[in-house]
Amino acid sequence: MSETPLIQIRNLSKFYGAKQVLKNLSLDIYPGQVIGYIGPNGAGKSTTVKILTGLIPDFTGEVIVDGISMAKDPQSIKKLFGYVPENAEIYDVLTPLEYLDFIGKLYGMESITLEERVTKLLAAFGLANNVNDRMDTFSKGMKQKVLLIAGIIHNPKIIILDEPLSGLDANAVIVVKELILRLAKEGKTIFYCSHMMDVVEKVSDRIMLINKGEVIADGTFESLKQNHSDTLEKIFSKLTGNEHSGDDASAIINALD
Amino acid sequence: MDKIYLKFIQLLNPVLSRAGVDTDQLYQILRIKLIIDERRPKVMFAQRQNNKKKVQSPWFVSFFTVLMGIFIGLVLFLNKMPYVGQTIYFSVFMVLMSLTLISDFTTVLIDTRDQFIILPRPVNDRTIAVSRILHISIYVLRLALLQGLPGLVMIGFIDGLAAVPVFFIQILEVTFISIFLVNIVYLVLMKFVSPQKFKDIINYIQIAFSILIFGAYYLLPKLIDVSILKNISILSHWFSYILPPVWITALNELLFHHERADMITSLLAITGLVVPLFGLWLVAKVLAPGFNRRLSIIATSDGSAGTPAKVKTEGKSGLMDKIANLVATDPVENAGFRITWKLATRSREFKMKVYPAFGYIPIYFLYFTLNGKGHSLAERWENVKAGHNYIILAYLCIFLLMAALSNVAMSDRYKSAWVYYTTPISEPGKILSGMYKAILVIFFVPYSLFWGAVIVGIWGPAAINDVLLAMLVGIIYGILMALFMIKGLPFSKPVMIKQSGGRIVTTLMTMILLGGIGVAHYFLMKWETVIWIAIIPFFLITWIMLHYYKKTTWESLEMAEDL
Repeated sequence: MSETPLIQIRNLSKFYGAKQVLKNLSLDIYPGQVIGYIGPNGAGKSTTVKILTGLIPDFTGEVIVDGISMAKDPQSIKKLFGYVPENAEIYDVLTPLEYLDFIGKLYGMESITLEERVTKLLAAFGLANNVNDRMDTFSKGMKQKVLLIAGIIHNPKIIILDEPLSGLDANAVIVVKELILRLAKEGKTIFYCSHMMDVVEKVSDRIMLINKGEVIADGTFESLKQNHSDTLEKIFSKLTGNEHSGDDASAIINALD
Repeated sequence: MDKIYLKFIQLLNPVLSRAGVDTDQLYQILRIKLIIDERRPKVMFAQRQNNKKKVQSPWFVSFFTVLMGIFIGLVLFLNKMPYVGQTIYFSVFMVLMSLTLISDFTTVLIDTRDQFIILPRPVNDRTIAVSRILHISIYVLRLALLQGLPGLVMIGFIDGLAAVPVFFIQILEVTFISIFLVNIVYLVLMKFVSPQKFKDIINYIQIAFSILIFGAYYLLPKLIDVSILKNISILSHWFSYILPPVWITALNELLFHHERADMITSLLAITGLVVPLFGLWLVAKVLAPGFNRRLSIIATSDGSAGTPAKVKTEGKSGLMDKIANLVATDPVENAGFRITWKLATRSREFKMKVYPAFGYIPIYFLYFTLNGKGHSLAERWENVKAGHNYIILAYLCIFLLMAALSNVAMSDRYKSAWVYYTTPISEPGKILSGMYKAILVIFFVPYSLFWGAVIVGIWGPAAINDVLLAMLVGIIYGILMALFMIKGLPFSKPVMIKQSGGRIVTTLMTMILLGGIGVAHYFLMKWETVIWIAIIPFFLITWIMLHYYKKTTWESLEMAEDL
């Protein structure tokens, strides 16, 4: 692991009106790491991701990626990132080929390399027969595959995955998990946001738990286990103050009587 | 066609790249946006062909726009008096253009997906802003040219070949003014209403637009007396001077009819040239920056884009509760009643298809009854009042019931209807009767009563029994229609569904039955007591049919195949 962090976040704060969603967040991420970024709903996870991808331009604090400041030159940073959004937004009247061609060209890729890569990737994801079908007929999993390809098409240094497994079938899940590990081996940095604790546990070599706009746990799964509990699920509920999940369940049972 | 625009824009590349625009990215964004536009069904036409979900070809849309242009172009020939033809032409042009822009282009302007697809990529703000401006310009110019093309040809015949390029400039003027107006409308709306409301209001503007087009198509030829119009003197009214179409027309008057032009004409012509440019400048400099910011707020407020979205709360509707418990006492029926009530009054898709009927009905009535060529409008109206044609209006109200019924089983989100199939409902007819009652209570009954009151107000209390009987006939017809043609639980079927041949026959049969009853009613109207007595058996039939409708079984229902 190299000494200079690839992503440096210093005192990052974000307000929505009077509500503070991120409270002086600071973190360093090193090349080749797979970060599991977890937290309950409304903890500030999506906000962090949106600031990193340049979707939210106004924030206080400092975000430096590969030595470039987000406030000064967001365009250069965006080139380094590949982003797979959570909500599966896609221009679904296009075909996968048209869509990926469009995305690749926004990154300034040459037509010839792009076409070759798109065809190969679509085939690798099992979409070879749907290359020229409009995506409005696609299942959720098929669209998710196209989004995944769009996130890695320009061979980015950093890949941000926001719930990338939603809608995928078991086989595709295995492929994507394997893919994450292989990309990390290639030296890519991966920022993985998810609610699926068991996957996070397996793929990430560093887990960050965020709650109410602050990082409340940060370390390898092993180190978290020593300090807290033995599964990520339990660690999660303990640290986010929902330790007594049994009580919640009993309240639910009681309400049925 | 689109290729030509893109080629043309590439000519601007040197200027654009000096302004900090990435021209390759710009080209890609515009190309994709134009492809998306082409494949997107247009709101204005979706109305009429709601059972054909597949794309209307862009050629069809273009053809329709040109046809519209031909219609309005005809008024250009009214050129004996100064200003008349062109003023009317440009007024209609402006209204049509503004409404098309609002109803068809709003979805393009507020494409929330851009947030997640283009923004995370290395595209700078200026490229995005320019791509948006150019995209709108291409759309608007395409519309303007198609709509103005027939006018361009016609003016050549009227005022000579030299008038054609001038007319082209006039079209540009009216286009700029329309853009300016639409911007003002957007800004005012955005300033005063919440994003959620904003979309609702746009929805209502679309509905009003389709009623307007419908009304103009059916009624204008009846209402307008060309001989009067020909001799109207526009400039004798003071307010003419502040109407943009008058300024625009002045240019033509000045250049091609100088024998009747004067000082004022020149002044108006100059105003017509200056104001649109000033408006465009205002849009670009003053209005656009705030506009884009507000627009992105609207775009993000929709999804999970981070802003703590204001949750739209629905208050408890006391009135609905009371009515629901009164007319639908069975729990299952009650559920059907409430779900239909709520979905029908909240779903934009349903409103878009059904609400125009509110306006179509009086338009149809006037279309059928205002007859008598050569008489003045007042005379014709006196004729209508003297006759018994009000019964047509009473029966036309059934049209609203038909519109509501034929859409109530359909929805884009039909998959949510899985709840009906996973819950142990042994008598789905109860849901159906709840649904039917809800439609009666929200749409048909109040609407019929409203026109009933109007009828009684104009034609006197002798009409009360006719109105009541027509309503009962409507309710019976509605049940027949629901039984044989709808066959679906509320909002449970995809919009595109095949009409089987047998169904067309039943439709025809029930229509004939309805017509027969209507005609019989018309001939029996003279005998007031007969009508009063007829109400009793019809009431009983209604009651019995509702009873049987409630017994509908699963076997007779159709459901979506791909739940």
